[in-house]
Amino acid sequence: MAEQENRSAPVTRRDFLRQGSRVAALTGLGGVAGLLASKLKAETLVWQIDPAKCLRCGRCATECVLKPSAVKCVHAFALCGYCELCTGYFVPEPNELNTAAENQLCPVSAIKRRWIEDPYYEYTIDETLCIGCGKCVEGCHRFGNGSLFLQVRHNLCLNCNECSIARACPGDAFRRVPVSQPYLLKTSYSHG
Amino acid sequence: MPASDQQSTGHDSPNPNDGTPVEEMSALQKNPERSKLPSGSMAIGRGQTAFSRRRFIGGQCAVLGVAALGNIATGSIFAVAGRGTRSDNSENPFAYRVDRFEQTDPKLIGYVEARRFKSPCAEPRRMAIGGDERIYLAGEKRICVIRPKGSVAAEIGLAAPPQCVAVANEVFYVGFKDHIEVYAANGKRKAVWETLEGNPYITGLTVAENELFAADSGNRVVIRYQLDGKIAGRIGARDREAGMVGFVLPSPNLDVETRGDGVIYVNNPGRHRVECYSVAGDLLKWWGKPSAAIEGFCGCCNPIGLALLPDGRFVTCEKGLPRVKVYNANGEFDCVVAGPESFRENARAGAGSTSDPARIGLDAAVDSKGNVYVLDRVTGNIHVMVPKAKSDGAR
Repeated sequence: MAEQENRSAPVTRRDFLRQGSRVAALTGLGGVAGLLASKLKAETLVWQIDPAKCLRCGRCATECVLKPSAVKCVHAFALCGYCELCTGYFVPEPNELNTAAENQLCPVSAIKRRWIEDPYYEYTIDETLCIGCGKCVEGCHRFGNGSLFLQVRHNLCLNCNECSIARACPGDAFRRVPVSQPYLLKTSYSHG
Repeated sequence: MPASDQQSTGHDSPNPNDGTPVEEMSALQKNPERSKLPSGSMAIGRGQTAFSRRRFIGGQCAVLGVAALGNIATGSIFAVAGRGTRSDNSENPFAYRVDRFEQTDPKLIGYVEARRFKSPCAEPRRMAIGGDERIYLAGEKRICVIRPKGSVAAEIGLAAPPQCVAVANEVFYVGFKDHIEVYAANGKRKAVWETLEGNPYITGLTVAENELFAADSGNRVVIRYQLDGKIAGRIGARDREAGMVGFVLPSPNLDVETRGDGVIYVNNPGRHRVECYSVAGDLLKWWGKPSAAIEGFCGCCNPIGLALLPDGRFVTCEKGLPRVKVYNANGEFDCVVAGPESFRENARAGAGSTSDPARIGLDAAVDSKGNVYVLDRVTGNIHVMVPKAKSDGAR
């Protein structure tokens, strides 16, 4: 009987507030701990582009807080065909296969073409000029082996808490990677 | 008594002298239930915060609910603000434009699709057509023998993925990455030829009366075999002293064809041309030019596939702008079999997007009537294309 009475006894406001305060305190502590943990984690990670997801949309050039962007084109030479007609270097229908500006695809002429031996040419990126637009990447990806791809250069990147390019990326290609392995390099025909 | 102590707590009786508005009083008077203490609550002295527990919890729930809704709403708004432009990719100021080459002038199309069927095996690579007009398709880990209408006549299981196939009288030859195997028509293996040295990647086969030619993309050479498997020679190898550049292959797409007349035809993708060699290895002639326009070979490295029409013309396959075209015996552009508009998914796949470049692009084979069978490696569809002039009859 006494137990039944205890069960049906109304909760006093004092008890209710006391219990509520405890729950609130615990929740607050949990939240603070979570926040600290996530902050600690964020400090060991940096932003990077997953080449397998990159859509070459051009937003790396337009959305970065830096001008020019911290995203640059990089070249996996092991995958390159050293083509005479590189579709990452030349516009789709060039007048001639030479270095004349009108034949170049890159809007800032950031790709350098060097003759190796007939009929092979080497293509290198001048990162001081590259704006990370990905136009050459699309050309190489469309017709060639995809040896050109975009990466966040960490000597430039401010590692913003919320990367403005990542927010706009239509392919969700931006992700956090450990600072000890900050690049997602292509080592085979597959991305990443 | 202080004025504050005189204020009603909501469950006290209304007092006409405490300043309560007349309208409120009348409402309370009209509904005396409102002045009763709710069940489960209690009055706490004369305090001003005498809420019932139910009302308190109800109020908290309401506040939390509103907060949660607000959070969701603001989250959505921020999400929309942040990602509103994500799906809209039409405003790329740096877009790579090849749109003008993706639509073929209808006047240039000389073939019409009579039918289309799905490849019975995954990852189809190359195909050949036998004397019985059956299609021999290399893919996955098997060779599928398909009747002209698309039904499967036979399947021959293999130990490794085949790269290519060639058909002769009562036997067919299967090219694996580093060697060739011979099979009887009933699927029984008759011979396994020696594994090639170097960095072999066999991607094309063609057979003549007494010889077989294998296109080795890895070693960048065409190997001339006797039908007992002995190597009789190598064709098209790079020779600096002789000024022979050899086959330029950014991706493994070397193909070889012959009519059995002592001449073999090989694509040289990096040089955007088709080369004709004697079986002894002499370069007889070549034709082709780089161009995204219809008469040329587009991109860095095309054509990627060859087939020979009975009347002496050539069929070529390209990737990047996936298209199949016909050139006359002199190498002049004749007509289009199927343009990029027929292979939208293939075009989207892109060459650089796959771990295996041999899995993109197209392949073609020709039957004795001059119909062109086009294999779309991305979708696995086989398009049967018949010349427009006789398309009605074929249908």
